[in-house]
Amino acid sequence: MANVQNQSVFYAERPEWEDVIPLPQYESVKPLAPIFYTPEYKDATDYFRGIVRMGEKSPRVLDLTENIIRQNPAHYSAWQYRYKTLMALGVPLEEELRLMDELAVKYLKTYQVWHHRRLLVQQTRNPAPELAFIAGCLQEDAKNYHTWSYRQWLLAHFNDEALWANELDFVDGMLDIDVRNNSAWHHRFFVVFQSGVRKGEEDRSEVLHRELTYVKMKISVVPNNMSAWNYLRGILDHSKTPYSTLASFVAPYCEAEPTRPDDSSKDIVDLEDPFPSQDAHLPCAAAIEFMADVHESLGGDNLKVATELWSSLASTHDAFRKKYWEYRIREAQSRAH
Amino acid sequence: MADVLSPLARMGHATHCKRCLTGLPASQVDTDPFKMALVFYCLGTLDLMGQIPAGIKDSEKESWREWIWAQQASGPGGTGFRPGPLMNTHTERDDTYHESSENAPQMIMTYTALLSLAILRDDFSRLDRPGLISFLKACQNEDGSFSSEPYGGDADLRTTYCAFAICSMLGDWTGVHVDQALAFIASCRTYEGGYGQTPFSEASGMHSFPGGPAYCAVASIFLAGQGKQLSESDRLRTLRWLIINQEPSGGFRGRTCKGADACYSFWCGASISILEAKGLVSELPIVSYIASCQFKFGGIAKSPGDHPDPYHTYLSLAASALYPLPETLGAATWLLPALDPLLNATRDTAEWARRYIGVEN
Repeated sequence: MANVQNQSVFYAERPEWEDVIPLPQYESVKPLAPIFYTPEYKDATDYFRGIVRMGEKSPRVLDLTENIIRQNPAHYSAWQYRYKTLMALGVPLEEELRLMDELAVKYLKTYQVWHHRRLLVQQTRNPAPELAFIAGCLQEDAKNYHTWSYRQWLLAHFNDEALWANELDFVDGMLDIDVRNNSAWHHRFFVVFQSGVRKGEEDRSEVLHRELTYVKMKISVVPNNMSAWNYLRGILDHSKTPYSTLASFVAPYCEAEPTRPDDSSKDIVDLEDPFPSQDAHLPCAAAIEFMADVHESLGGDNLKVATELWSSLASTHDAFRKKYWEYRIREAQSRAH
Repeated sequence: MADVLSPLARMGHATHCKRCLTGLPASQVDTDPFKMALVFYCLGTLDLMGQIPAGIKDSEKESWREWIWAQQASGPGGTGFRPGPLMNTHTERDDTYHESSENAPQMIMTYTALLSLAILRDDFSRLDRPGLISFLKACQNEDGSFSSEPYGGDADLRTTYCAFAICSMLGDWTGVHVDQALAFIASCRTYEGGYGQTPFSEASGMHSFPGGPAYCAVASIFLAGQGKQLSESDRLRTLRWLIINQEPSGGFRGRTCKGADACYSFWCGASISILEAKGLVSELPIVSYIASCQFKFGGIAKSPGDHPDPYHTYLSLAASALYPLPETLGAATWLLPALDPLLNATRDTAEWARRYIGVEN
């Protein structure tokens, strides 16, 4: 791989490939949606089919498959065969991982890059350096689905206490950059509630309280953030905590100009019920929706309040979803009768 | 939302897809490993544009059918379809594969091949039904998920959906463990009410085919006739997630707090339709967003001003077919054939698929 520059780009012209019979792609019928391959791609894949036919698994196969992957990172047969070759050769995989460090960033949105990496790390059984690598990738693309899925897989698969140690700080850092990064919120839920109970987190009511405080603070800074409201709903549902316990926190977010509790306490943040930030755009539709759910769950006369809140969403605060809010009113009323 | 709905550029979209079927530039080489899916988007577009019976020559349709059948391959892992000829050579029989083959059939390609043949009104006399059932069996994993190939490959909600769609077309579920598959689907549910592609993953929206895992999950559950498995509170939570993810532009987001993408008009719109809640969204904003994604020289893009491709073209049209505009709007160009949201094909094509693919043939 080192002296690639000195060679012809075509395998057909390289003496060390003389013994391989290139096999062109064959179609027995009239082609449909044929791709007009570049000469370089056609040449490399002709030799790839030839190698696969021979079943050869040698160091030069690594050069050939890398060449194809760089031209077409979605070529999963090239990835598959590359992995089989690595296994057959028994070479140290660190070098392969360093190559993947480069390719992952280059082809961030290609599934195969991440799948290959999973296979490699299952062999090396050295997941620790991966966390920093993933963090670097998320600097490039903070919401990349493959990258986050890989992190979740890595943590769950190796399930090593040390791996989990800094996950909440990591999420916190990601949310500091973008508080609306839903992938980071999802990751937080995964770490806290979906991946078992780790040391120091045995007291689940304490953990729930910590998470409620966290999400309430985030909402108070940026109230119009559906990711945070969904997280709040998610942890309440998960812990079967009634929404009504949050009523005093949510109330000021439902008003256009909430009366601040007491001017003298302006500089002291109320951790239980943090007040909306000064520049918050209020009322917040997600808060009104939440409050309507609170009143619906309480039932009885509260249903009237819920209906008023849904009506205000339908007419003013979220008129785009009018039909949905009217449906909520109908459903609640039909359940009440 | 645009005040005046621009007309549907029917000829432009049909031409965009016909051109792709004729050939693709080298820059699209990444579609090679998924070519059958690309063929399906193109044929699906032509089907929705009413081009299949009238606009395409019989000889051409015949040659397209031949090409699709040429991708059917049998081996120790059963019979299915390959993406295309990318690994075929003249030196071995192209209709077989072996256990360590780099040229095995693939689940998503099998689903798109069957639908493509149904669009072309094939009689399916060449379909190896017992082999197809073995293929489904070979692909299912212990956790209920399905691998994309009999000997490995990725397993997520896309492959589950395709396996279920194939069972539904076959009218035969003997090749799969439905309960285990449903348990896998349930394990992909997230706290938001959506689904991740795999357990623990974020509710999404992955940009692929079949895309939205929420669609794959909901459609699979209903294809298996297990709609009642979804509790009322789960159904409502999923519905809320879908509806909250519609932007005032009329487009849908794939994930909370992300931007709209025309393909989610189908993935979310079809999920809402399957959950029998179409009345909770308005047709006009959905269609207006899609209208604004039309490319001036044909084809539909993921968002206004982007470049079109057959994937977004087909899914946008399929979404428009699910949400027909009221006649009073006078948007005659937007009148499209009725669509089956579960199989993702026109109702006529879905009926054809079930009638001619069914095991009783």
